[in-house]
Amino acid sequence: MTKKMILLVMILLVASPMLFAQSADVAAQTKAYAAIGGGIAMAIASGLCGLGQGKAVAGATEAMARNPGAIGAIRIMLILGLALIESLALYTLVIVLIK
Amino acid sequence: MPETELWITKIFNDQLAGLGNMFLGLVGMPAQARPWANFITMQILVAAFIIVVFAILRTRLSFDRPGKLQHICELTYEFVAGQAEDQMGHGGAKYMAYFATIFIFILISNLIGIIPGFEAPTMNPSVPAGCAIATFLYYNGVGLRSNGPIKYAAHFAGPVWWLAPLMIPIEIVSHLARPLSLTIRLYANMFAGEKLTMVFLSLTYLIVPAAFMGLHVFVALLQAYIFLLLTMIYVAGATAHDH
Repeated sequence: MTKKMILLVMILLVASPMLFAQSADVAAQTKAYAAIGGGIAMAIASGLCGLGQGKAVAGATEAMARNPGAIGAIRIMLILGLALIESLALYTLVIVLIK
Repeated sequence: MPETELWITKIFNDQLAGLGNMFLGLVGMPAQARPWANFITMQILVAAFIIVVFAILRTRLSFDRPGKLQHICELTYEFVAGQAEDQMGHGGAKYMAYFATIFIFILISNLIGIIPGFEAPTMNPSVPAGCAIATFLYYNGVGLRSNGPIKYAAHFAGPVWWLAPLMIPIEIVSHLARPLSLTIRLYANMFAGEKLTMVFLSLTYLIVPAAFMGLHVFVALLQAYIFLLLTMIYVAGATAHDH
């Protein structure tokens, strides 16, 4: 196990000049990396936002089922909570759009 | 991305360029060839529309036989008053003027983007920023007037006095984050809704872009309501009397 790790590290060190070689056009590369980074950031933000909103809706529907008298108040809290969670994903979108 | 001009902006720029440059000169910016921007003329149109509607309503107010316009305005008023009562109890009636104004303005600004030939002014980041700064100044002013400056500043210290050095920076940062979050929430929702519709329109034909446009309409209504709700929550928090 350890021998294999040492062998892997040596191969990576030897091959690193070839791996890190870049083409001459830096500006286009930066834009490309910005686009890729933006895509990954937006994906993570939307995914976590989806999880959060799912939990909010689950809690709200269960509460409404348990206590039908409080449906009005729970509905207001649900809408407010969903909008606030949504806005977190939107902050990421704004950062992506700026770059 | 170059901004195409709406027909309203074209009229403003052709006729009233001098007036626009005078306004620019008031704040020290250099004069430009076509000073009126889309969102400024759309805001003026929205404000003029609201004023005209209320002026017409005023002449037709009737106690015994209310017309359709009066019914619509009564519904809106009842809605905002109901929300204010939910948030703040009976003290909410004092602030109804600001709440209803901001709600109707943002609602109509959002919805006017659906009509072809018009553009929602809230799509430009300046307009939600203006509304958010107005709300910030309003709730702080109302809190200062209702509680007095010393008791209002004491809100920032939190529940117990020895937590104050920790609570005051946290409270100040959280208060400053409020107009920022209001701005970005409204701007990003409107901007993303339009961009999404455009992207799907360039991809496919009828049903799918129409579905996304419907989503955009729903989001427009919801975001106006959220702005109203958060304004009320901030005002309720600022005018809370510790009994």
